[in-house]
Amino acid sequence: MTTTTTELTGEPAAVPEAAPPPRRRRSGGLGSYIAVRFLLIFPTIFVLVTTVFFLMRTTGDPITAALGGRLGPAELAERVAAAGYDRPLFTQYLEYLGQLVRLDFGTTLSTNQPVTEVLADFGTATLELAFYALVVAFLVGIPLGRFAAYARDRWPDAVLRVFAILCYATPVFFAGMVLKLVFSSGLGWLPASGRASTRSEILIQTSVENPTGIYLIDAIKTGNGEVVQDVLEHAVLPAVALGLLTAGVFLRLVRTNVIGTLGMGYVEAARSRGVSERRLLRKHAYRPALIPIVTVIGLQVALLLGGAVLTETTFEWRGLGFQLSEYLQARDFVAVQGLVVLLAVVVAVTNFVVDVIAALIDPRVRY
Amino acid sequence: MATTATPTPTPARRRRGLPVVRQLRQAVGLQRGMLVAGLVLTGVFLLTAALADLLAPYGYNQLRDADGPFGAQQSPSGDHWLGTTVGGYDVLSRVIYGTRTALAVIVVAIVLSLFLGVLLGLLSGYFGGWLDRVLVVVCDAVYAFPTLLLAIVMAIVISGGQSSLWGGILAAAISITVIYIPQYFRVIRAETVRIKAEAYVESAKVIGASHWRIMTRHVLRNATRTLPLILTLNASEAILTLAGLGFLGFGIEPTAAAEWGFDLNRALSDVTSGIWWTSIFPGIAIVWVVLGLTLVGESLNDLADPRLRSRRAADAGETGEVTVVPGGPLGAGPAGLAGIEGAS
Amino acid sequence: MTPLGSSGRRMRAATAGIAVTALALSACGGGGDDDGGSGGGSGGGDALIIGTTDKITTIDPAGSYDNGSFAVMNQVYPFLLNTPLGSPEVEPDIAESAEFTAPTQYTVTLKSGLTFANGNELTSSDVKFSFDRQVAIADENGPSSLLANLDSVEAPDDTTVVFNLTNPDDQTFPQVLSSPVGPIVDEEVFSADSLTPDDDIVEGNAFAGPYVITSYEINDLISYEANPDYQGMLGAPKTDTINVRYYAESSNLKLDVEEGAVDVAYRSLSATDVEDLRGNDDVEVVDGPGGEIRYIVFNFNTQPYGATTPEADPARALAVRQAMAHLLDREEIAEQVYKGTYTPLYSYVPDGLTGATQSLQELYGDGQGGPDADAAAQVLQAAGVQTPVQLSLQYSNDHYGPSSGDEYALIKDQLESTGLFTVDLQTTEWTQYSEQRTEDVYPAYQLGWFPDYSDADNYLTPFFTTENFLSNHYDNPQVNEMILQQLSTPDPAQRTAMIEQIQDVVAGDLSTLPYLQGAQIAVVRTGVTGAEDTLDASFKFRYGALERA
Repeated sequence: MTTTTTELTGEPAAVPEAAPPPRRRRSGGLGSYIAVRFLLIFPTIFVLVTTVFFLMRTTGDPITAALGGRLGPAELAERVAAAGYDRPLFTQYLEYLGQLVRLDFGTTLSTNQPVTEVLADFGTATLELAFYALVVAFLVGIPLGRFAAYARDRWPDAVLRVFAILCYATPVFFAGMVLKLVFSSGLGWLPASGRASTRSEILIQTSVENPTGIYLIDAIKTGNGEVVQDVLEHAVLPAVALGLLTAGVFLRLVRTNVIGTLGMGYVEAARSRGVSERRLLRKHAYRPALIPIVTVIGLQVALLLGGAVLTETTFEWRGLGFQLSEYLQARDFVAVQGLVVLLAVVVAVTNFVVDVIAALIDPRVRY
Repeated sequence: MATTATPTPTPARRRRGLPVVRQLRQAVGLQRGMLVAGLVLTGVFLLTAALADLLAPYGYNQLRDADGPFGAQQSPSGDHWLGTTVGGYDVLSRVIYGTRTALAVIVVAIVLSLFLGVLLGLLSGYFGGWLDRVLVVVCDAVYAFPTLLLAIVMAIVISGGQSSLWGGILAAAISITVIYIPQYFRVIRAETVRIKAEAYVESAKVIGASHWRIMTRHVLRNATRTLPLILTLNASEAILTLAGLGFLGFGIEPTAAAEWGFDLNRALSDVTSGIWWTSIFPGIAIVWVVLGLTLVGESLNDLADPRLRSRRAADAGETGEVTVVPGGPLGAGPAGLAGIEGAS
Repeated sequence: MTPLGSSGRRMRAATAGIAVTALALSACGGGGDDDGGSGGGSGGGDALIIGTTDKITTIDPAGSYDNGSFAVMNQVYPFLLNTPLGSPEVEPDIAESAEFTAPTQYTVTLKSGLTFANGNELTSSDVKFSFDRQVAIADENGPSSLLANLDSVEAPDDTTVVFNLTNPDDQTFPQVLSSPVGPIVDEEVFSADSLTPDDDIVEGNAFAGPYVITSYEINDLISYEANPDYQGMLGAPKTDTINVRYYAESSNLKLDVEEGAVDVAYRSLSATDVEDLRGNDDVEVVDGPGGEIRYIVFNFNTQPYGATTPEADPARALAVRQAMAHLLDREEIAEQVYKGTYTPLYSYVPDGLTGATQSLQELYGDGQGGPDADAAAQVLQAAGVQTPVQLSLQYSNDHYGPSSGDEYALIKDQLESTGLFTVDLQTTEWTQYSEQRTEDVYPAYQLGWFPDYSDADNYLTPFFTTENFLSNHYDNPQVNEMILQQLSTPDPAQRTAMIEQIQDVVAGDLSTLPYLQGAQIAVVRTGVTGAEDTLDASFKFRYGALERA
């Protein structure tokens, strides 16, 4: 759900109408397009930071969340005042903006850790999951999409397209539950949660110098085959659950684009020369159709970062999404704001990069 | 995108029926099959919602009948075809009544986003200037917002933290609205900007027709070709958001309404204890509805795109209407893939 | 979680010592969980893995006031007084003696030669420092309010500490010393006026409890190693190395204990999980008395016929409360919703604590603990209450576990099925709930309580004195008087009698309606022993009691 909406994230970038008027007036040069597009990152982030700040403050403070069941109203109020949360919202808002400009994200209220540390630590976990998911998406989505285009309008095409829609229609947490039901509690083949078993994690912590936070790399560094295997086993279910979601997108994308290029003039010309349909597909249609996927990968990274809340919660994959939902439960607005700002920056920058790539590939985009 | 706008209204426009019906007639073969399948799934969903009182054996919040309490986590039996939940409710009844909650969210989400998106799009495209620029930037920014986060915060803000029936429905609906306004906004704005420059608008102005009236008429007429697409996406997103909220524990209280996401959340421990019936059925219900809506949406998308329409249909010479929106991809470039993604 | 800069981590790895690594390696090499291969070079048995869904705020005692953080502190910090295994009563821990030397003077003598694991000496100056900083920092998430009765601390010599109190003969003060406000910390590592980051505490090895922390990833994984310098009453831990894994979702914890990925699961598996595990031969479910209680609070102003309602009438208001007490079927809630992980509670002080009674069982229902619809109808009729009574009932769906929804749906059902009540059941997200409950918004609502320390008074003073944290406008001068009196009654038997009497009186007034008591439940892999010893009414889970046989 989250994920799929975020897929649309790419759109404003890719669809020219989204371009604000300035872009149109300064038509022409790629350089100026990039510059304007770059400057647009900032208002985007500003809007998000502002929205999140005010929304989060309306949802209650972390002190009440933690101690509301133990203390009377007077003492609660006293503690809230001591923390400064009873001051005018706008004052707190300006203060927060000031902090952000100095790149100070504050300290989480529920675990007493610098937000930047949280970002660095959990970002790697999310990246690792995103990587695995992309691998799954590639392995499943691209060959199937190609096959669907080849078998266009015949039954395998129908089956594959319904499969692609199913990938989207199945909430990732439901997919996660079913996977766990079958592979963890049913067959007992794969672990249901976490990034590694306790033993492996201890081994990584104690024997790897300068761990990267990406468990696969750290596990390889330990030089212990069992640890590597353990880490990979833990990655399978989350990667499949999240990867299939993206695989559906890839499948449809490849299919549509291959069909599109098959209909183009030069392919038609080749067809009229008597080139076999199979060869047409392989030589002429497939490669050009892959180009847009490059940009979609960018979008998918933003998606995986921004919308991984459900996947990470389902599998207790301790990444940014998992952490975000934990902090939300604790009403830890400092942490939530920090994480959202980071996500906003990542998404905005990714969109920017995707736009620039799109502009480089297809000059029609910048006008 | 702008490269693809098909302007002039065709005479056929007069005779066209409802958007979906027209496309159903236009579709052939596989595409027709998919569209029909989607319509059937959606129809079953709508019927179930309408007839829930007749279909459901028990109430959604009923814990006991004349024979005493149902008991928790009873496996499927003659009395309870799909078993009972951990809370002691009848699974079948909650799955059936869940359609009502889902439908309510869909309707509220669509009405709100359609209304606001169209209004803002018209204003923005018509007046231009600073308002336009600000709205475009805000709409861009909204895309980067994690939907679920927004939904959760909305759930807390809107309902004052109360997980009542309407609190939960509005939370899901409004957060989806916020995400989907930019979609409608973009379509309508693009149309408005384009039509504003058309000669006939100028001439209409000269002959004294209300400028505003012409705008809305022409813009809306053109937009109706693409709106059904966004609508189906909007609807399925609404369902998925509602389910996600429920799953994360921000759902609707079980005595207030039946909600599939909530039931899935409560079934988490059941899954690891081998109790499958409490999670599978609500999950299938979600997939059913989203699948139905998406099949309809995707078929409409394909039919709107001549490249993707089945060859036979294209050969038959029927001209589909080309979309103006992200929903209808045209160029093989990035502009096209956005639409494909959108429909996914 | 992978916190800590690399420098901190390296340091950690170094202090962790070879033993941990060796143990972890051997455990890993062994692969299986049942072959009890001898661990490294240490003599204290195989490493154990404990899984929990608790959460840690911080391990600085001044900055947290929650079960998850306190669970860690209980392993690594010493207390002046502490509860021995199997008893709720406090005894000297690292103290030699502790007693009232004057009505407002509580004097503690420390054992001599105490040290922290980092080699620093543990003297009365550290003790004074520990309590002074609690008061000085008074962190908004901290437990400093427990020291309300503390005036000042003195350290006349290295082994003597004198606590000067405001109210004389406070019988709960020894218990306070064993509570979350009581851990003794190292003045050379901790900051006197602000919270000390967890990483600094771990790096400084500022521990003097039964265990030290060798590796710390907050809310993910903590490794403990037995502390050879610990001289307190708990004795040397039975297992040298303990690893604690933190889970977010109880079903994942359940799967892992089932598969053997963790050896002990403690706090909190869902009722479904526990029931399923009871039938599993590989694991053993161990129960102990729990200190957690659930109750319904009545707002004396806004409940039906409450003081500020148009038809205010104390007698009818009482009748409504009594009717509810008659109708509540505790057994059904405990069985259907909690599958025995909670047990019926018939008084204010839960079973297991000194002074617990069954006051409500005698007064309400069928006298056997079951409901009695006729009695309820009668009491309402006698008071002239029109039925069905419209009752608005609130519960929190996100604070007391996911089963609260089922619990309250069942309560609603029980009240309504007699036709005597019409219940408008509502739920509110926790922070709003916490604010609104004291603003007279909820006529009747759910709350739970987990004690600060194992004394019956902790279930009375906070609730039923005139100034209570419920703010429900309950005010019974007689009860208030008795509570203050028992607080300073030194004779245990006399005090217990008074506590019992207080419960009887409150049971008549029904300021709150207690109905469930949580059992402490640990699930252990077969062959792990000791859980039953530590699941006692001290409500402190000691890792040192556990052992793989």
